Amino acid sequence: MEVRRHDVIIVGGGAAGLRAAVAIADADPSADVALVSKVYPMRSHTVSAEGGAAAVARPDDSLEDHAFDTVKGSDFLGDQDVIQYFVEQAARELILLEHWGCPWSRNEDGTVATRAFGGMTTKRTWFARDKVGFHMLHTLFQHSMRYAQIRRYDEYFVTKLLVDGGAVRGVTALDVRSGELFVIAARAVILCTGGGGRAFPFTTNGNIKTGDGMALAYRAGVPLKDMEFVQYHPTGLPRTGILITEAARGEGGYVRNADGERFLVERDYGVGTKAELGPRDMISRAIVQEIEAGRGLKGTYGEYVHLDLTHLGEAHIEAKLPFVRELARTYVGVDPVHEMIPIRPVVHYMMGGVDVDIDGATDLPGLYAAGETASISMNGANRLGSNSLTECLVFGARSGEKALEFARGSSDASEDVLRQQGAEEGARIDALRGKRKGGEKMAVIREQMAAALERGCGVYREESSLEEACRALAQLRGRYADLGLEDASRVFNTELVAALELGNMLDVAEAVANSALPRKESRGAHTRKDYPHRDDQNFLYHTLCSFDPGGPRIGKKPVTLGRWEPQERKY
Amino acid sequence: MSVPAHPQAMAPSRPGRTRTAPPQRPDQAPFGGRYRSHTLFGATGFVYLLLGLLALEAVWALGGGSASWSGFQASLASPFMIAIHAISFVSVIFVGVRFFRLFPKAQPPRLGPVRPPPAPVIIAALYAVWIGASVLFAAILAGGIL
Amino acid sequence: MGEQKKTFVVTRFDPDRDDAPTTREYEIAVQPDWKTLDALNFIKDHVDGTLAYRWSCRMAVCGSCGMMVNGEPRLTCKDVLSQYGDTVHIAPLANFPVVRDLVIEFDGFMEKFERVKPWILRAKEKAVEEGTHRQSPEQLADFQHFSMCINCMLCYAACPVVSNEPAFLGPAAIALGHRYNLDSRDEGNGARNQVFRGDGTVFSCSYANECSEVCPKKVDPAAAVNQAKIGALLDWAKGLVLPRGGPE
Repeated sequence: MEVRRHDVIIVGGGAAGLRAAVAIADADPSADVALVSKVYPMRSHTVSAEGGAAAVARPDDSLEDHAFDTVKGSDFLGDQDVIQYFVEQAARELILLEHWGCPWSRNEDGTVATRAFGGMTTKRTWFARDKVGFHMLHTLFQHSMRYAQIRRYDEYFVTKLLVDGGAVRGVTALDVRSGELFVIAARAVILCTGGGGRAFPFTTNGNIKTGDGMALAYRAGVPLKDMEFVQYHPTGLPRTGILITEAARGEGGYVRNADGERFLVERDYGVGTKAELGPRDMISRAIVQEIEAGRGLKGTYGEYVHLDLTHLGEAHIEAKLPFVRELARTYVGVDPVHEMIPIRPVVHYMMGGVDVDIDGATDLPGLYAAGETASISMNGANRLGSNSLTECLVFGARSGEKALEFARGSSDASEDVLRQQGAEEGARIDALRGKRKGGEKMAVIREQMAAALERGCGVYREESSLEEACRALAQLRGRYADLGLEDASRVFNTELVAALELGNMLDVAEAVANSALPRKESRGAHTRKDYPHRDDQNFLYHTLCSFDPGGPRIGKKPVTLGRWEPQERKY
Repeated sequence: MSVPAHPQAMAPSRPGRTRTAPPQRPDQAPFGGRYRSHTLFGATGFVYLLLGLLALEAVWALGGGSASWSGFQASLASPFMIAIHAISFVSVIFVGVRFFRLFPKAQPPRLGPVRPPPAPVIIAALYAVWIGASVLFAAILAGGIL
Repeated sequence: MGEQKKTFVVTRFDPDRDDAPTTREYEIAVQPDWKTLDALNFIKDHVDGTLAYRWSCRMAVCGSCGMMVNGEPRLTCKDVLSQYGDTVHIAPLANFPVVRDLVIEFDGFMEKFERVKPWILRAKEKAVEEGTHRQSPEQLADFQHFSMCINCMLCYAACPVVSNEPAFLGPAAIALGHRYNLDSRDEGNGARNQVFRGDGTVFSCSYANECSEVCPKKVDPAAAVNQAKIGALLDWAKGLVLPRGGPE
């Protein structure tokens, strides 16, 4: 079995992973970084982000305002030391990206333009038309091509973290093209694999968002934090779940029910004067309530409401929201200049993830995580739109630097130990490939997992449906062991990769449901019908979920408060 | 249905870890769909070659005195020569139309503060100049003016 | 809901088992609002789990799912299935070596891409403390549409020169290099134009315009390539007279 050696391994080549790689190469040109991704980096799901990236840029804005908006948006579950560091570094990161070529949209005077976004008191969201994720990812990727010391492993699927002597020593990675398993040794590993939205039936997430990094950490004994907090983005297209950016509301779009009412204004959903620009969790809840009250529209793929951009005019839409127009026409046959877009809440982001500290470090020495994969926790119980892209940059950079520092002080595991672990993993993978005798079909398990999550961990949750989801997922885990696969090929076996991804999604799903059950309150994106109020007395803590063969173990971790004590979250 | 492309088309500098099937063209070259226009465009080079040889012959004839020049002019009236000229005429129009269609795209986005005029305007201007100059030259050569 | 059946004739190839690619037929019921990718996903989930292909975002922005559909290069997640008749042929993207089934090898593209130096080249980097560069909306408009390339490589499948000349840089790589040449923050025209005149030169382009016709993002690579020809030529002429400088 071939063993490759590098100083640091980064798993995942999206915004966080690429930024970490560049940070390491900039900090130390002699460092040798492996960027291991199951897709070529420009395919990473960062590419689909549309709205913008937030940073304080205007003189009428302040770091304190950005920090407070984020803390309040998180429903006071965000760690305030993390948030403080974030707002301080945000502008620096976006300026660096501009220097690297990112085509930020501009004001007439040549300065970077900003737009309004949900939950932000001032315009501080930098944008590049309405394809910010695309431009940021391509800028970062193209910039990273300058560094010969960033060694890319394109289309290598990391299957396991190798741990020896109480620290992470590397990974096993499946070369998807040849079917060969490699051991890649390093003194530090950074997980930047995004979230796991594909475990749910309706999601903005692409096929690759299967929670791989979260599962890798989970299986290595690292707890996942705050997994119950799953963000439903209010404006996704029915059936496909394709994202219609918050920027559509930021540019003045309205949300209307079947009666044409702007219900966020006409009725009290807690968003106050912010109306359509309230935080995502509140708007998603409002839409679900409108539909349950019978004021939704009925379609072939379920019920929905309308996003109305018709009053903005063609010129404005073409200038600021051209991609939105293209998506609406291509995927629902609607021209937003003349008609309203059908939308419904869909899973978009996971506030939860691998438990890390402000350096991006887990409690397993040598293991780091950044971006959506991590819960650091910047977003607490609910994330504000346009904070995530900046978060990937700020904490991608920090965790890269910290991982490098750690690697410099650490040591290598013996090659024999790594080979031994690699051989065991190789046998496991070979046994899975083309496993014909299983009776279960992958598509069936996937659909049932998604259905269980939809029923139990939707926008509104309650005790009985959560318990049912936990049971169903445990059962599916058992059935997964009996999976039957058809493809026995070694070369580019996508069925094998999908089976590994399904295992990862089951881990993530289990963590979500089991974390949600004991939280008997409503906070941020986690809303309980049976416990509709926030309970700071008993539940102001982060939930930890650790893997255990007998069923997930739930723990608690204190929230780092700071300048702001929890207050009522009203807009 | 599919035809092999050049065996090294889009090949990486070092072979990958697994054997690949060779690249296929999207259409039947040289005259299938996408290739038709490309092949004809390349073939016009042959036409230019012929015209070039004809020009050399004309210069040679000129150098030989007025008798040889008259002989050369008479030879241009043969059906073969007329056919060559007809094909050349079609080729030039073909290349011209193709080039004009692309010409607006090849303009830089702007020169200082000035942006080029919209594509239809540029194309119209090109045709105007082309047709105008052709008519003028035809009139001169036919002896109508000068 | 009207249920219609279509037959999909899909290219299959496993290098461990097959000497050359073959086809397999799948007849399935299709929905009127499906894209071609939806049909492939249905086949993989419910009919034949061994079918291999790339896809991810399903919203025409990641560039993974380019394939030949009835002989035309298409982004299958955007490609409307109902436009086709009863039989749909799906093959891997033309002009690329094939790894497996509908999966192509595109490391050749990645190499050409890196050669054009697709990054901001400056003699001296601006310090972060100085803030962003000033760039007017007009300056941004100069190159913005060329920056929209999602690297889907449909243009490489359509280009007749790519089929014939392995060294040719190709539409997307040239368009991305040209994007940086036009960016007011970049100073690397000299270095890039040398690449444009070198191996795989932009002058191999024969004005076919097929690349721009198939581009799903309206990048108009033909415009970029032909602008690049003029830029490279002027740069060469200038270099005869003036000393060469600029960052590499």
